[in-house]
Amino acid sequence: MKNEMMNQMNRLVLAVLLRGLRVLYRSDDRVRAEMDSWRKGLTLKLVCGPGGAALAVRQDDACGVVQVRRAQRTDITMRFKSVSGAFQVLSGQVGISDAYARHLFALEGDIYQTMSFVRCVEYIEAYLFPGFMARRILREVPEKKLSSLRVYALAAVERVR
Amino acid sequence: MAGQRRQEKWLQPDRDGKESGCGRAAGNGDGRQMTPYFEFTNPTKLCSGKGAVDNLAYELQILGVQHPMILSDAVLEKIGTLRVVLQALGDRKIGRIFTDIPRDSSVEVVNRIAQEYRDYGCDGIVALGGGSVLDTAKGVRLLIGQGSDNLLDLMGCECLPQGEHIPFLAIPTTAGTGSEATAVAVIRNTERNIKMEYISQQLMPDVAILDARMTQTLPPRITASTGMDTLCHAIEAYSCMQKNPLSDAYAVAAIELVRGNLMKAVCCGRSRKARLAMANASFLAGAAFSNSMVGVVHAVGHALGGVCHIAHGDAMNILLPAGMIFNRKVCREEYAGLLLYLAGPEVYVQTPKEKRADRAITEVLRLRRRLHQLTGLPLTLKEAGVDPAKFPEVAGVALNDGAVIVNPRQVTYESVIRILEMCYGE
Repeated sequence: MKNEMMNQMNRLVLAVLLRGLRVLYRSDDRVRAEMDSWRKGLTLKLVCGPGGAALAVRQDDACGVVQVRRAQRTDITMRFKSVSGAFQVLSGQVGISDAYARHLFALEGDIYQTMSFVRCVEYIEAYLFPGFMARRILREVPEKKLSSLRVYALAAVERVR
Repeated sequence: MAGQRRQEKWLQPDRDGKESGCGRAAGNGDGRQMTPYFEFTNPTKLCSGKGAVDNLAYELQILGVQHPMILSDAVLEKIGTLRVVLQALGDRKIGRIFTDIPRDSSVEVVNRIAQEYRDYGCDGIVALGGGSVLDTAKGVRLLIGQGSDNLLDLMGCECLPQGEHIPFLAIPTTAGTGSEATAVAVIRNTERNIKMEYISQQLMPDVAILDARMTQTLPPRITASTGMDTLCHAIEAYSCMQKNPLSDAYAVAAIELVRGNLMKAVCCGRSRKARLAMANASFLAGAAFSNSMVGVVHAVGHALGGVCHIAHGDAMNILLPAGMIFNRKVCREEYAGLLLYLAGPEVYVQTPKEKRADRAITEVLRLRRRLHQLTGLPLTLKEAGVDPAKFPEVAGVALNDGAVIVNPRQVTYESVIRILEMCYGE
């Protein structure tokens, strides 16, 4: 039951993450620069533990990323070893760099290209989590180019299909 | 005098002064907490000491190898080091000897050797050489074990399933990379001008053989350069985010061995005791950083290697103090603790607690200067012939190096540029 709750939460945060990536692609030039540096059509997948929620995206020139349904094989896959490990990261208890240090996920694909995605996730964490949480999980909290409230509002109305 | 002035300048407080936007334990002076979860792997059997290479045939027999592939390089063949190893094999058949491995091995070279491994029906790998040869052998083992023919298909970190077991013995001929003890291989991608990291337990050798005869012929300049690489592994392992009690123990043991033996190995290359101690230090530091990873010094060093083709050990020697100064803000306690191993108990006790971290950096600067005077090891990027016009490219590549993610302090484009400028030497 507990696992199922964490799974639902992970699914929800992944949806926010996708929308956040698209909103910040338009609103934050640092995120845009990172995503523009990705190889054309690069596909990324986040898998939240065995049988857990997953999100696959493809680099897109217009929106930054578009969701890919039923992606079997992607260029980069970040695979959390457990549902609870993914939950720790997606609920803001652990930052992405700490997650790596704690071996919470394995990475399939090019480490070099993944670092840019990691930076994007860190930018999103700075916007989506309250300041006290961001300061706890990020080595350095990046300056916000717009308010978190505005990012949430834009993400809520973002059309991802 | 100039060196002293530079050193004093380097030890000034951080230029950005304030703790702008720093999260976690940055600047609180309490040191960082150790990660609440860690993993430690070191399954490699170590054969270290007098006559260790003579046990090679026995170790191959234990591993069931009938036709080993021997990987080495042309220099080791020329100076007779390879011959010592071949003699140790006795009447054992050899599947193939491959000595055409360049200084910076590449994906293409690894793919080609793996094909030869299959063509010649080999059933195990013996790698004799420095980091490049050992990392090439790791790449070959990965390819064969996973039944693949292109190393680019196997990129990743801790993601590969257990493949076919390919017996693998590593005999390092430098005391620096520690590759014989790591789950990491660094292979050059010539197309993209970067050095790629592969991280997998399957890269770890079954057996590492450390024998002073293998490193005795190393010239002082390379002994110094590779020795500083060892020191850098240990210091970064001790201060990176993945640090843990076991990697710490390995790291400090390595630093003590470097302190006691590097100068002797440089000045008196025939000293088997010093050579073996440095080989052990390299193994220990390798095992440490394989389990706690390295940080900004290696990230920038890999980028300098990929873009400017600067030798890895030279890059480590140039970058280490600047990297420590960059991380000092969050690693003060770790560096203070390292002073004991870098300078010995007397200096440690005599140094006030609040000055120990800076003194540790000073000790590294001193060691560098002595090595420079003895061997001409470059102290600056300018001396190493790096063109500052390439700094933006180097910074871009460094930011995408895997080592950045575990560096205790956030690494940005601007901070890498600042480190490079600091190290340029003007």
